[in-house]
Amino acid sequence: MPHMADPELKSKIEELIAANPVLLFMKGTPDMPRCGFSMRVVQVLDQVDVDYGAIDVLPALQPLREVTAEISDWQTFPQLYVNGELLGGCDIVEEMFESGELAEALGVEQPETASVPETAPPAQSPPLQIE
Amino acid sequence: MAADLAELTGMIEAALPGAAVEVIDETGTGDHLRATVSAPQFEGLSRIDQHRLVKAAVKERFNDGTIHALSVKTSVPG
Repeated sequence: MPHMADPELKSKIEELIAANPVLLFMKGTPDMPRCGFSMRVVQVLDQVDVDYGAIDVLPALQPLREVTAEISDWQTFPQLYVNGELLGGCDIVEEMFESGELAEALGVEQPETASVPETAPPAQSPPLQIE
Repeated sequence: MAADLAELTGMIEAALPGAAVEVIDETGTGDHLRATVSAPQFEGLSRIDQHRLVKAAVKERFNDGTIHALSVKTSVPG
């Protein structure tokens, strides 16, 4: 059986999801994504020009996996929440961006040049920092 | 252990009868698998729920470590 999520962390995360209309759980930060998939979601959000909150999951990866597994039945990051619901990870966000569904879900105008760079390699992360 | 693309395809087909399923290994290393699934069961579901159905179908292979990542693209047969 998977480990039960930490109840305190879970309620904290639930509060954050409720308080932030657009909230991204990602590896790294918007300024310095540490995973190619997280970077691609940041690029999409920058293009739709929406304000969003971002949480770096790396400092507590496993506890946060357990929490999101319970909240949304989803364990991989990035995860984009819109109005309290999990919209999706990188695949879904990019697909919905290109189709215009993302702008609609966010209540913003679809940018005129909505395209995802085709050549983006799957996991070109910035080099890991030594901490 | 290398992912068995035919097995993964079969698992998704079994979970979603009538679906058109293609699973490819994008890099040839088993690290970047991509499943393209068109299934009548997706009608009316959000994309995240469509993806949940596909991931649930192959959950066993995630749990036993055979696969680590699976990109999913879903559609409703038109």
